[in-house]
Amino acid sequence: MNDDRNASPKRRREDEDGYNDFPPRKCSASRSPPANASPQYRIAERPARRYSREDSDDERRYYRDRRTSRSPSRSRSRSRTPSRSRSGSISHRRARSRDATPPPPKPTALHYKPTMILRGHKKAIASVKFSPDGRWIASCSADCTIKLWDASTGTLEHTLEGHLAGISTIAWSPDSKILASGSDDKSIRLWHVATGMAHPTSFIGHHNYVYSVAFSPKGNMLVSGSYDEALYLWDVRAARVMRSLPAHSDPVGGVDFVRDGTLIVSCANDGLIRVWDTATGQCLRTLVHEDNAPVTSVRFSPNGKYVLAWTLDSCIRLWNYIDGKGKCVKTYQGHANKQYSLQGAFGTYGGPAPYEYAFIASGSEEGDIVLWDVSSKNVLQRLEGHNDAVLSVDTHPTEPLIASGGLDRTVRIWKVGEPPVLADETTATTETDGFDPETLPPNPFAES
Amino acid sequence: MNLSLIDPFVLAQDCPEAITGRLRSGHSTSIRFSHRGDLLASGRHDGIVVVFDIETNGVARKLRGHTRQIQSLSWSTNDRYLLSSGQDWKCVLWDLNDGSRVRTVRFEAAIFIAELHPKTHMLFVAALFEDQPVLVDMAQEIPVRHSLSSAPRRSQIERENATEKQAAQDAKQTTTVTLFTPSGEHIIAGTNKGWLNIINTTSHKVQYSFRVTNNIIVFVRQTQSGRDLVINSSDRIVRTLHLPDFTDPKLDFDTLQLEVEHKFQDLVQKLSWNHVSFSPTGEYVTASTWMNHHIYVWERGQGSLVKILEGTKEELSVVEWHPFRPFVAAVGVDSGRVWLWSILQPQRWSALAPDFVEVEENVEYIEREDEFDIQPIEEIHKRRLDQEDEEVDVLTIEPVKMTSEFETGDFKMPVLLDIEASDSEDEVVAIGAGQFRRKSPGTGREWMNDDEMSGEETRRTNGTSTVQNGTKRRRAG
Repeated sequence: MNDDRNASPKRRREDEDGYNDFPPRKCSASRSPPANASPQYRIAERPARRYSREDSDDERRYYRDRRTSRSPSRSRSRSRTPSRSRSGSISHRRARSRDATPPPPKPTALHYKPTMILRGHKKAIASVKFSPDGRWIASCSADCTIKLWDASTGTLEHTLEGHLAGISTIAWSPDSKILASGSDDKSIRLWHVATGMAHPTSFIGHHNYVYSVAFSPKGNMLVSGSYDEALYLWDVRAARVMRSLPAHSDPVGGVDFVRDGTLIVSCANDGLIRVWDTATGQCLRTLVHEDNAPVTSVRFSPNGKYVLAWTLDSCIRLWNYIDGKGKCVKTYQGHANKQYSLQGAFGTYGGPAPYEYAFIASGSEEGDIVLWDVSSKNVLQRLEGHNDAVLSVDTHPTEPLIASGGLDRTVRIWKVGEPPVLADETTATTETDGFDPETLPPNPFAES
Repeated sequence: MNLSLIDPFVLAQDCPEAITGRLRSGHSTSIRFSHRGDLLASGRHDGIVVVFDIETNGVARKLRGHTRQIQSLSWSTNDRYLLSSGQDWKCVLWDLNDGSRVRTVRFEAAIFIAELHPKTHMLFVAALFEDQPVLVDMAQEIPVRHSLSSAPRRSQIERENATEKQAAQDAKQTTTVTLFTPSGEHIIAGTNKGWLNIINTTSHKVQYSFRVTNNIIVFVRQTQSGRDLVINSSDRIVRTLHLPDFTDPKLDFDTLQLEVEHKFQDLVQKLSWNHVSFSPTGEYVTASTWMNHHIYVWERGQGSLVKILEGTKEELSVVEWHPFRPFVAAVGVDSGRVWLWSILQPQRWSALAPDFVEVEENVEYIEREDEFDIQPIEEIHKRRLDQEDEEVDVLTIEPVKMTSEFETGDFKMPVLLDIEASDSEDEVVAIGAGQFRRKSPGTGREWMNDDEMSGEETRRTNGTSTVQNGTKRRRAG
């Protein structure tokens, strides 16, 4: 057991992970409301001032005041680029004929800035997910807890405790009311987001660690992949296994539902990506790359026509699974991924509908987050800030926000800002002076 | 999205062939697919309406309000509202968002069928036993009823020459089945004397009448387009006919001539038909048979019998087609199960091994010129990456036809957790390891009593023996 544990790309499960340099923190009662939360759960917000051009004492005071009385409206109202919408206008995009005005040039770089650092997890974070309504951020960790954060203020709303072992995966139900989690205790649990309570019946059936879960778009089905090499399709209402798919010959790394719920994709350490028919449980397509590198994570593109897969040869590949027998159309490189299973996401940038472009965000084992343009494969930005491997990256459903989490136990929120202005550098170094170094570590984002 | 990956031979099949599943929750008596085809409503013998999720084959919602067997079900066009009529002489409009009763309408007679208007869920038409059909407007708290006529429309000459006997007979006719045309502007009604009446929804006047048969019209169903009609009558013949476009303003009802297109019957066994329905496009007609275990499937192009669906060991009552898939559901009369017929899809093993191809006969392999050339790995890598120059669009969503895809703003029924465990209506309950006992008749039916009609309730609780413990639940006043 120990051998294959080391050989396989497990999200961090070791108890000693070399991050005990923080002062020991006492474990507070679970589900403590944020108002009386113990100070270690208070977030240390990064004063994200580099995208505000006129730096003044007033502004500095504003940030200081904000730490005591958080105004939730602040960060929400800052979204300046037009947002993408997952379902609404997307179907009409590019249908419109080009107007007389020339199209704006495609941006060649993105300017995400750190805005918040959310601390509280006591071990490495395996997955970070925005809720579909954009209100929440959920993070799950090897410390057997899930934490729910308010996406706009960064307040810790709930700590969900109940799993007996580290949690590798979380998934939001489409109505954002239920969170599903898969754990090394072989069970899948559902959590009511509003109350922070666990649903009394957990999904039991897997014979080994549950490694990946995904909800169907209607929320009536859940698919889970496990170290027992099987894929289970669950009836969420009855908490029973509808179908067991004899999927792979190695631990299943990632699973995902296509946007209309008719297809499931799964991947495994044997290097195979399989596409399944949800209704019949039959394998419709198998994608394999010549190198057979273990595939650790997989997801459908927003329109469901492509599959994005992370492999342990430091590549992310975009597959066209429809035409012919399936073809790798893009390979994204520039990050390090040899050991852990990284999760990433699709995001959008550019203008409104016809000038909207897609990017891919992924973490790296070197501690940065890389954003690639989907078509050109160019790196649009590298976000540096995490001190260790970034295991999970997610994009906000509507706003230009990115959440990331990794081995350094922090969740970081990034937001699109203005392109950098050189004059900011001087103020950027001085601004942290007024803050408590315990809650605000030295600014790793300072460009010096 | 899965259509492009499925074997085209499988997709080309449009008629179900084998039993692929069954659904069970109590004793079902009546079923109806939702318009998007992801849900199946099932009315039960005990008056509970169960909504099945076709994707999971599980119960998605249980609706309690009727006290007797469910007679008919009808979905609103957006699938949010469900109208059920029961043998307790009432119709209930349900909101599936929260499972609440929006309206309850009581009648003074048994209900044959109640159908919702396609444009508004606050209007329905019902055919009543030995009474005239009613159009009910539920927009107000107190529903407004408009009685409709069952008497066929006679031409001027016929009216002048009519004998008293005939006039009396016309007046005595009752309607046995009603439904709206897809536009909702007209009601198609079948009478017990075999007449088919077209009634204007706004003026409540019979605009056209056509005698199909001399016997009772048992059931009428139309295709989604509303241009085809299938009629089941008690003379053991299933008739199909083409309808004109009733929304066409140029249509003149006075010159309209309807003709029966096909008459389907079993000449050998003289079977009578329990229930008839159309396939989505109207290409096939299915009928379940009385005192027999089969479902007959006729094809309308030639008017021939193409298939008999079998496999159950019981008679089948209601048979329904899925709104767009080759998928048939039918209710077993004895067991109350819902049986499902569909197409069996064989696993294509080539999908599991991407290097292999399925071929019909041996093919000689011709190797490429450079197939076994040894090349440096870096070179191959570089070449491969350079080939990836196509534009990739991961955002644009292409519309897929024939799917149950949800548009934004469409109603999505919330997923209720633990719906089965919370109220199991099985008649047998486990009381220990390997020990079971039959449930006492009254338990689990407390919902019947906290109804809004308190007068009836006291009568029931006192008069019948559903509540065995006399000290239980007797309301003051």
